[in-house]
Amino acid sequence: MLFQNKVYHRRNLLIFYLLCFGAFLGLFVRLAYIMVCEGDYYSERATDLHERERSIKADRGLILDRNGKVLAGNKSVCTVSVVHSQISDPEEVIRVLCEHLDLSEEYVRKRVEKYSSMERIKSNVDIETGDRIRELKLDGVKVDEDYKRYYPYGSLASKVLGFTGSDNQGILGLEVKYDSYLKGEPGKILTVTDAKGLEVDGISERRIEPVSGSVLYTGLDINIQAYATQIAYQVMESKQADSVSIIVMNPQNGEIMAMVDVPEYDLNNPYALPEEPGSEELTAEQKQECLNRVWRNSCINDTYEPGSVFKIITAAAGLETGVVTCDSRFYCPGYIVVDDRKIRCHKTQGHGSEDFVLGTMNSCNPVFINVGLSLGIDRYYEYFEKFGLLKKTGVDLPGEAGTIMHKKDNMGNVELATVAFGQSFQITPMQMLTTAASLVNGGKRVTPHIGVKTVDQNSQETVLSDGEGERILSEETSETLRGILEQVVSEGTGKNGKVEGYLVGGKTATSQTLPRGSGRYIASFLGFAPADNPQVMAIAIVNNPKGVYYGGQVAAPVVRQLFENILPYMGIQEYNQ
Amino acid sequence: MATQKGKNRRREKNEYFFDYSLLFLLLFLLVFGMVMIYSASSYEAFQAYGDAAFYFKKQLVAVAVGLVGMVIASRIPQIWLRYVAYISYLVSALLILLVLTPLGVESHGARRWIGIPGTSFNLQPAEVAKISVILVCALLLSNIKGDVKKWKYWFGMMAVPLPLAAEIFFVTRNLSSAIIVVAIGWVMVFISSPTFLRYAVMVISAGAVAAVVIRMAVSSGGDGNFRFGRIVAWLNPEADSQGTGFQTVQGLYAIGSGGVWGKGLGESIQKLDFVPEAQNDMIFSIICEELGLFGGGAVMILFIMLLWRMMRIASNARDNFSALVVSGVMAHIAVQAVLNIAVVTNTIPNTGVSLPFISYGGSSVVFLLAEMGLVFGVAGKIVKREMN
Repeated sequence: MLFQNKVYHRRNLLIFYLLCFGAFLGLFVRLAYIMVCEGDYYSERATDLHERERSIKADRGLILDRNGKVLAGNKSVCTVSVVHSQISDPEEVIRVLCEHLDLSEEYVRKRVEKYSSMERIKSNVDIETGDRIRELKLDGVKVDEDYKRYYPYGSLASKVLGFTGSDNQGILGLEVKYDSYLKGEPGKILTVTDAKGLEVDGISERRIEPVSGSVLYTGLDINIQAYATQIAYQVMESKQADSVSIIVMNPQNGEIMAMVDVPEYDLNNPYALPEEPGSEELTAEQKQECLNRVWRNSCINDTYEPGSVFKIITAAAGLETGVVTCDSRFYCPGYIVVDDRKIRCHKTQGHGSEDFVLGTMNSCNPVFINVGLSLGIDRYYEYFEKFGLLKKTGVDLPGEAGTIMHKKDNMGNVELATVAFGQSFQITPMQMLTTAASLVNGGKRVTPHIGVKTVDQNSQETVLSDGEGERILSEETSETLRGILEQVVSEGTGKNGKVEGYLVGGKTATSQTLPRGSGRYIASFLGFAPADNPQVMAIAIVNNPKGVYYGGQVAAPVVRQLFENILPYMGIQEYNQ
Repeated sequence: MATQKGKNRRREKNEYFFDYSLLFLLLFLLVFGMVMIYSASSYEAFQAYGDAAFYFKKQLVAVAVGLVGMVIASRIPQIWLRYVAYISYLVSALLILLVLTPLGVESHGARRWIGIPGTSFNLQPAEVAKISVILVCALLLSNIKGDVKKWKYWFGMMAVPLPLAAEIFFVTRNLSSAIIVVAIGWVMVFISSPTFLRYAVMVISAGAVAAVVIRMAVSSGGDGNFRFGRIVAWLNPEADSQGTGFQTVQGLYAIGSGGVWGKGLGESIQKLDFVPEAQNDMIFSIICEELGLFGGGAVMILFIMLLWRMMRIASNARDNFSALVVSGVMAHIAVQAVLNIAVVTNTIPNTGVSLPFISYGGSSVVFLLAEMGLVFGVAGKIVKREMN
């Protein structure tokens, strides 16, 4: 009996054992599948779960001028923090931090005594103070180095450079336009933590090194910029103007050497409001509005009626089509009737009989109205578009304003007449300068630009300027135009722009700001030198000058002063040498 | 010389068997378990109790008590065991009910323990139930012998573990222990049965029921019933990795990051509070993370060898009762080890089963060692030359 039962036992025990064996085998296969096939997936997920990231800021790329001077750099600063659990002598820590960081005891005590893994006491501490605190070797006090954007020239070229925010991200100007090049790639310190987020000791940190941002080489010249800024402030003060803008450009390739829009603001303290009565009581929204006004770059963000400077465009179109030549004769009685409207010349008694060159020198409105009307709406509009005036210039700064122009279908002869001498539409100063440069440089449209190239940390270069632009005017017409504009300066309305020893071409403008009759004017002058082979072109716009407001009187001397200094500096030879 | 030889022969003739390999396997598992408990729990223990060895020390006491219990159990005469069998069944039935009295201790949101007055130790009556089911089934089955194939006896035998299992399930809300109690009893009935077919039918119908339950759980979306929720979480643990699937997913992260050779002993990250019950039901996942597929496989091999030794002892036991006691212990260890590893690897839905000899848990290890004592007792009665 006993023996018989034992047989069942043995057989069934073996079956049960084999079942268990099979189960273990199956589980082993399952285990191997999880650990080998799915292992990468699970361990990656686990690592994500365990690691806490601390990012390492990447050095932001420098912005350099054409001579290699640093326009925007980085300054080392420190962040001082305390680690509660590591502090051994809290009173000493509080005393030292109060003393060195110039903080109230109450403020520091609250943070030192707070139970947290890490508490920031103060950031943007200068490096000397940070070093002094570090040398004291206090337990639980951490001094971390950090970078802060620093602009060595303060407010110089502020409207062009822009500034960065607290995370070193570009906010305005070149800083935001070239942010992708400048910002680099932040690195990471990965620390292993437990489920509550506490760091685990004894497990080495993983470091992913940051990639520094690329260096931005610009065509700006800090000396020209500084000088242009100086004279802009001078004229703003002497004429009690609202603002003065000056752009200096190489008309051959569109490289901008200086862009001034005074008043400028301090790049190292961009959020400071201008000192005006009542500025303390502003709401946050009003403050922001005020700052936006301060930061605004009217060279590109705002449009204006270009006035007589725009006659360059009408002249170019007229000469190119042949509706007018240098010798064409005109008669100016002081006004002209277009359809049923009588449009006055600025010289109410009239310029009398004059040829086209003299008409340009006189900046005679009826002459240009006649040229415009001879072209007709279709052709005029065609040239307006061909010269690139309907599009943006493509300057490498954010927020460029577009042209405000009549729709072609809505244009009648009266509108055409006013456009022909630069009224009833609006363009940016940048657009005016760029189009004029493209017409006198031999007839090729240039794209204005400040950035020239970027160089990354591996010395890899990226050239930013585009190639040669399309032809918009023939060489011959361009040459004729240069000749006429040279005479405007040498003997015409622009004679205040004359520079001893140089051939300067240019055109003045005095435009009334809208609404008309407000008594607000914009005096402007566009000049270039040498007139026969333009190497530099500048536009000066004086917004709302008091007293004399004519462009020839107010703006032309600004460009003259500028040219007197920068032409020799740029190594442009006097014609008689 | 001659007398020496004769002495040796005589000794061989009458020498009783002692299973050194089983003892070695057991001690290896225990020591390994202690090391892993320390590794898996030290971080959390230090944070919770300021003593990294908190769980380790408690387990050490339990193992010591258990080893003493094992020695005692191995020396209990069989006749005593036969007497004690029914009593133990009644005692464990009462102990389970004691959980409902003020003696009951609640932990991890379940009331499954009885505080032992005067100590900081708790007793889990479900563990007592397991050993009592082994004894009662062994006694009954050895009495009815081959008659078990008769339907009357068969149904009677199959019903033996059910009252205790029902008590465990309804009183302590512990499904896994109830399943284990039933499984132990049924495996013992199977081992003493000459018939075969009915078990095959049972396995097939159990599979069908499982399939239906899974379908119901899936169509319910896991709402309403937490067991349905666990089935849904089993099928796609990462869908609710912060909720029901949390423990499973954390366990899989641990296993998956182990690789073939593991991170090294003590190097687990998942034990840093990520895996809940790292020293307990989920300890196998920490073993896999620290020692890799190699370590996990080694643990499985240890269990396979342990079961093999017990099968050999059961097959060679001098009487039916002894053979069935060993079979019951074997069933207990096998079912629990397989279920635990299956849960940890998300092969079956999550349910709380500890890994025998390795997981933290005093009651479990004390009673397992007592059961092992019974096995050694049986082994000690086998005359060596009768072994085959």
